[in-house]
Amino acid sequence: MSIYDIIFYLFAAITLISAFFVVTIRNIVYSAFFLLFTFFGVAGIYVILGADFVAMVQLIIYVGGIVILMLFGVMLTNKITSVAIKTGTSQIVPAAIGVGMFAGILTATLVNSHWRKVDTAPLLPTTQSLGLMLISEYGIIFELLGIILLIALIGAASLARK
Amino acid sequence: MKEYFQNIWYGFATILTGMRVTFKHLFVPAVTIQYPDVKLQLPERERNRLYVNMDDCIGCDQCARACPVDCISIETVKSIPGEDLGKTSNGKKKALWVTKFDIDIAKCCFCQLCVFPCPTECIYMTDVYEFSEFERNKLVYDFVTLTPVEREEKKANYAKLEAEKAALKAAGTPPAKPSEKVGD
Amino acid sequence: MIIYDFLYNLVFSITQSAVAGDITAMVISALLPLFILVLPFALLAVWLERKVSAHMQDRLGPMRTGSHGWLQTVADVIKLLQKEDIVAAANDRTLFNIAPILVFAGSYLVFAALPFSSAYIGSNIDLGLIFIIAASGFVVAGILMAGWSSNNKYSLLGAMRSAAQIISYEIPTILVILTIIMITGTTNLRTLSEMQTGYFWNWMIFGGAGFSLSKFLFIPFMLIGFVTLFISTLAEVNRTPFDIPEAESELVSGYHTEYSGMKFAMFFMAEYANMFAVSAIVSAIFLGGYQSPFGYLGNTFGLHWLIPIEQFLWFASKGVFFVLVQMWLRWTLPRLRVDQLMALCWKYLIPIAFVNLIIIGLITVL
Repeated sequence: MSIYDIIFYLFAAITLISAFFVVTIRNIVYSAFFLLFTFFGVAGIYVILGADFVAMVQLIIYVGGIVILMLFGVMLTNKITSVAIKTGTSQIVPAAIGVGMFAGILTATLVNSHWRKVDTAPLLPTTQSLGLMLISEYGIIFELLGIILLIALIGAASLARK
Repeated sequence: MKEYFQNIWYGFATILTGMRVTFKHLFVPAVTIQYPDVKLQLPERERNRLYVNMDDCIGCDQCARACPVDCISIETVKSIPGEDLGKTSNGKKKALWVTKFDIDIAKCCFCQLCVFPCPTECIYMTDVYEFSEFERNKLVYDFVTLTPVEREEKKANYAKLEAEKAALKAAGTPPAKPSEKVGD
Repeated sequence: MIIYDFLYNLVFSITQSAVAGDITAMVISALLPLFILVLPFALLAVWLERKVSAHMQDRLGPMRTGSHGWLQTVADVIKLLQKEDIVAAANDRTLFNIAPILVFAGSYLVFAALPFSSAYIGSNIDLGLIFIIAASGFVVAGILMAGWSSNNKYSLLGAMRSAAQIISYEIPTILVILTIIMITGTTNLRTLSEMQTGYFWNWMIFGGAGFSLSKFLFIPFMLIGFVTLFISTLAEVNRTPFDIPEAESELVSGYHTEYSGMKFAMFFMAEYANMFAVSAIVSAIFLGGYQSPFGYLGNTFGLHWLIPIEQFLWFASKGVFFVLVQMWLRWTLPRLRVDQLMALCWKYLIPIAFVNLIIIGLITVL
């Protein structure tokens, strides 16, 4: 067990525990803050996997942006602590079927996919290759995503002006 | 568009002007006075703690009567014949032993009304203003120069004299000769 | 890294355990900047702030604790340590306690990527610049947490303002950093600093190294970028004239109104650590980072061990210089209104940064 294993389990624990609390806790501000730690844990796991750029973007966009926006939204609502979130069980049969199918697909993917096992390869910076790929290979998708975001932005602005 | 760039330019120009002003003030000598180390020159007629020069006090009680807050309390005892109390600096002959001259400076309102009636100018305001105490009774200043023993002695002497006088009166004899020394 | 290896070998030789060596070395080398840099700097900066503000207002400031009051902050810290840790009944206890830690952690994270000298960088990661931006997300979350858990209208308003301000001003910051990434092609702060080696005309603000036409074309746009970055980072650390989150005259002191004792001290330290971090980023990007403007004494005398120390001193002095400029601005300018704040960001800084980005992109292509 090396230091990286310890760090991995630490981040995995952060992610899982805080994700559990996001779902179960009744106070939505708490949920939002736990979501922050979930995203942070995921970013940590990205770093361990060698996806440094993705980890940073995860931090900037999710921790620095989305969670903050959610917190803003939550704090602007007047009911915070006593929101009736359904945590009881209803519709057990359809839910069980859905969860079962999803779990089945996940396990199937886990078992059948060829995981690349690299033990000693140094973690190379990914930013440059990622950038080149985005511009060349996935150029059109990248541009389309940009246009979608722009449309969303304009739509939001025009909605807000009404 | 022109206004936009003008705004930017104006913003920068004013900020730089302001920064120049503050930078200049960085080198202006400070106006702060480091109080306990450096003290301000007080005005000539400042009114602070009272002082009584007991050598000149004739025990006339005028200051105590002038005081609007009754912070001065004076008790006097007549001298017995043959005692020489000396003279005040402006030539008045003292006739009374001052056995109590207390000023409760905690009560004093610094009105200076006690200073003017004094015939010998022995009570006056000084420039001492740092005399805070932790206990209020320490602010009662005792100006009498006599020791407590002497004060009792003077009182006893006078009482004795009075008693003798009364006794003589009762006996119908003339009073004691002035040359007789009593006490010291 | 030298320190890390040294500690690792030391612990490894004692315990014969790689994990123990790693953990000890990591913990100690992670805490090192805190104790050799952040704490002393915070102490110095608070004192400097008080002295600078005093002298700009023709006062003297603290004078009685030590020579010219240099021990005043130490005394204040001791006082803060002794103070009662008050948690009001209506506060949300858990979040109230976590918030200062999160804020401080967020601002301390930045120090992991700062290039103090060529020999000491906490973590020489390839994405240093982006990491620094990412770390500020924690500060925002911590501030919001503090504001909400205080259960106090002033705290909440201050936190909301602060979060809105930091998020808005992150855009011009990122845009300017993007222009730099475009020119240099790196986000590694050490590589960025090494690119600006030599003399001061190799600094990014003077168009970077090399003598070509594009270098001279860069200079005016670099100046614009520099000023934009300085203003937007100034807003990100909530300093005057952008201190509306803690506007004393309207919000008591914003998101840390309810805090006392050591938790307040953590907010305070985070603020000063942030000031230095931001100054360090500005100087690392535009003013050569740890590079000396005139060459090194170590090279002149042939003492190569002297160079990292000199570099550290240059880095620290550039950082402190910008901190001083921040103080200077603080005692010069009044506070902006909320609408002025947003107007400055969205109407001035972002368009300028965008145009700057496009022009620099065109010049780079040329």
